[in-house]
Amino acid sequence: MEPPRSSGVGIDNSGEYSPEIAETLRFEEEIQSLIHPSSFDGSAAPTGGGSFTALLGLPANQAVELLHDSGAREPLASRIRVGEHPVHRPFHLPLDCSSAFPSNATLVDRAARFSVFAAEGSPASSSGRLKAEPQDSDSPPLDPIPTGPAKRKDTGRSKAKVTAKKSKNAEENTDGDKLPYVHVRARRGQATDNHSLAERARREKINARMKLLQELVPGCSKITGTALVLDEIINHVQTLQRQVEFLSMRLAAVNPRIDFSSLDSYLSAECGPVTVRNGPGGVVVDPSLWPTDATAEATRRLLVPQFWHIDLVPPQLQPQQSLTTWERDGAAHSQLLPNPTTSLFLYDPANSGDTNVPHRTAKLKTAEDRALNL
Amino acid sequence: MIVSPSSSSSSSAKTKKAMKKPGLGDQEETKWRTAAQQRIYGRRLIDALRATAPSGPQAVKEAADSALALTARGQSRWSRAILLSRRRPSCKFLLKARRGRMQPKPPPPVLKLGAPASPEGKKVSERLRLLGRLVPGCRKLSAPSLLEEAADYMVALEMQVKTMRALADALSGASLNAAEHAVSDE
Repeated sequence: MEPPRSSGVGIDNSGEYSPEIAETLRFEEEIQSLIHPSSFDGSAAPTGGGSFTALLGLPANQAVELLHDSGAREPLASRIRVGEHPVHRPFHLPLDCSSAFPSNATLVDRAARFSVFAAEGSPASSSGRLKAEPQDSDSPPLDPIPTGPAKRKDTGRSKAKVTAKKSKNAEENTDGDKLPYVHVRARRGQATDNHSLAERARREKINARMKLLQELVPGCSKITGTALVLDEIINHVQTLQRQVEFLSMRLAAVNPRIDFSSLDSYLSAECGPVTVRNGPGGVVVDPSLWPTDATAEATRRLLVPQFWHIDLVPPQLQPQQSLTTWERDGAAHSQLLPNPTTSLFLYDPANSGDTNVPHRTAKLKTAEDRALNL
Repeated sequence: MIVSPSSSSSSSAKTKKAMKKPGLGDQEETKWRTAAQQRIYGRRLIDALRATAPSGPQAVKEAADSALALTARGQSRWSRAILLSRRRPSCKFLLKARRGRMQPKPPPPVLKLGAPASPEGKKVSERLRLLGRLVPGCRKLSAPSLLEEAADYMVALEMQVKTMRALADALSGASLNAAEHAVSDE
């Protein structure tokens, strides 16, 4: 597109700049290509200070340095883009990919001089990073650096150690798009070992799941303490399993007397007319047939079979009555459509008690009495 | 495997209803708590009851559990465990499911938490072990996956209880009705 200006490297508008700045731009390109080794065609992808996940594709030191840079040296980074201070370049340089750079020794020296990583230590850098040593030896002269960046360095380092740990795991896939990382932040005053970080991540996962379970089990949110909550959960599961057993006993008792053909008609009657009359509300009306444990359970138990009773024996009750009840059900419950999660729980105690009971008691008195008298 | 003709339509209803919410618990909860799921399970249960000609409550319970596991579509560990333990002839399908879905290999069976203090940690690990025994097929499972399975299992159990209770009520009502008719007709 702008060929006459490009230098030998292929950068677009580098012809305008001095050769020194061109060199720095070339270094930047190489860094970019290292950041995205998959896209090695030298396209200047400017993701330098940008996405956090892109950083995670790097080996530890790069991530550390870039983090540090983005945190502490924003103005420098911007200046580097324009190409004013080639001296600060080395911060972007990876210390372990030394083979990629033509003049390694000078860059390493510069990095050593300007690096702030005093006592960087073993966890962040993987084994065999000999370049860390010149840093350590140079750390004493770096003491006059103010404590501001030191503090930021600490948090940056803790962050970096997390990212270092995570990025080490996924060093193979340096594709910046899909990285299955869990970004864990180490809080102040907490240990930043690899071990404790891993443990903390694990505990957070476990605690998240425990919270979910707590919400599931009624009355568990007030309880504090993992053991007690687990107690409650176990209790609840056992209760549910016992209920299933009792209900299966009931069903087994009822089974021999069932006429399964009538069941078929019951099922078709349940779904057929409902879907016709209450277009979108058809699905929601079904909850009326599956009552929950509410306070008015006894009445509902009597009412619901009587409700089915209508469908099974239409000639006895006037079909218009059943129609109206269905329609009223649909009207009452159409408002519940947007919340399918709440429909099954809020429906029964809140709405059915009010709207349906009067209808059914009015119309089904005789059938109810018969059932009761048995 | 029981394939009812309504399952296709109800599965579409299920996908309509199963709104994907952020957070894994919400997803599973909405999946299990939809009315469509109850209908699916109810139908399956009825088919199972009809087919097995149950000889006692334990057979009914097993049929109910199998139907529940089927409704889970083998996406959870406990459902696969139930189905594998009950129906041996149809192992092929489940093995395929296992190969397909269990790609993330479960971590080695470590139940003890790494860093708890000794008195509390023991209680917690004991409870976790208990829970693992309660949920079918989750005896040797790591803590986070065990809790996940337990959550899914709990929601499924709740739905099962609801459905079975409604079915029992309906059937007892219907049988009462049939008995009355028989009496009144005579």
